[in-house]
Amino acid sequence: MTSMAWTLPGSWPPANAAAPAVAQSMAGADDRPLDELDEPALVAACLAQRAGAFELVVERHRRAVYQLCYRFVGNHEDASDLSQDVFLRAYRGLRRFRSQSTLATWLYRIGVNVCLNRVSAKTTLGMLTEPIEERQFIDVRAESPSQLMLKDERAARVRAAIAQLPRKQRATLILRTYHEMSHQEIADVLGSTVGAVKANFFHALRNLKKLLAGDEIS
Amino acid sequence: MTHLKGEELVDIAEGTRPESSAPHLDGCESCRAQLRELRAMMSAAQEVDVPEPSPLFWDHLSSRVHEAVAAEGAQRPAWVTTWRNGPAKAGHYLLRGVLGSVCVVALAALLIAVALKPRTPSPIPATPPATAVADAPAIELLRDIASDEDVSLTLVASLTDHVDLDTVREAGLATRGSAEDAVTHMSESELRELGRLLKEELARPGA
Repeated sequence: MTSMAWTLPGSWPPANAAAPAVAQSMAGADDRPLDELDEPALVAACLAQRAGAFELVVERHRRAVYQLCYRFVGNHEDASDLSQDVFLRAYRGLRRFRSQSTLATWLYRIGVNVCLNRVSAKTTLGMLTEPIEERQFIDVRAESPSQLMLKDERAARVRAAIAQLPRKQRATLILRTYHEMSHQEIADVLGSTVGAVKANFFHALRNLKKLLAGDEIS
Repeated sequence: MTHLKGEELVDIAEGTRPESSAPHLDGCESCRAQLRELRAMMSAAQEVDVPEPSPLFWDHLSSRVHEAVAAEGAQRPAWVTTWRNGPAKAGHYLLRGVLGSVCVVALAALLIAVALKPRTPSPIPATPPATAVADAPAIELLRDIASDEDVSLTLVASLTDHVDLDTVREAGLATRGSAEDAVTHMSESELRELGRLLKEELARPGA
């Protein structure tokens, strides 16, 4: 009987179980160690239910996915929940991944959709007031307490302003500024064009300026 | 004077296009101010960090994902279910699909047959031919089905009211071996089984 190791709690973390026959045929019998597989081979290994394959996808991308989610929601708890949701959706939809984009871009696309759905369902301003003491592990050695406080306040204002941007402008700003995605990659994620992405980025920055100045945005 | 477009300003602000490629900037304070604003906002946005969570968080997140995926076990994605169960299961689905299609064709043929049956008896009933005796149970069954107040049956009947069986045969729609031909030459037990299947199908939600 075949088994799906990454659905069985007992097999986590990855076990070195032999892949089943069907799995081997789907994966092209690639029996190299998982960490030596390139992206398409790793995805094939996931589809072939090879033990530990999906865990490796999570391990490789969890930080970027978490940071993306945090940028949208502004607090750890929601970012953690959303990250889990992103990977669960990726697991469900892995068969639709066609390697036309990188796995990271595909996960970002899922992440943006999940986050935009969430932030439109909740009041974002309320989520941007995470107490400073809950922000963990910021390296503060080079800054004085007053500098740190000022920086935190400024960051909170910018974060709150970003949260008020229209959805596509916000997504564009986050992907471009914090994830260093090219305009083309952002267009792929948002199902848009490079021209539209640049225009959105331009308007996002202008609106950010207005919001920080206390003006109404257009 | 045509000002620079937003896209052009973004390219210049990001450095992918040199300022020298836009001589308009030299003489336009408005565009220069916009460019300064864009750069300032890009810089302000870049300063906002994501706080690094506890080092333990990453394993915790992986565990949560794992648990969520494990919970999916009972409702695995179709691609997992199909491949887990192998070709036999896939064949089962295929067979179900084919049987469903056959039922639909049979239902359509039956509706046509019902609609084409003569509604008035022959004015001078001659000695009933042997086939008429054989068809008696079929007629009873068809009457039984047609007696249901089904608007679709009524619609089919009204649309085909002027069409007789000869016309249908001439059109090549009731050739030997066709579904219509098969239905009208079924034995009593076959017709009853077909009727049961059809009722079962019609009773399903959405049928």
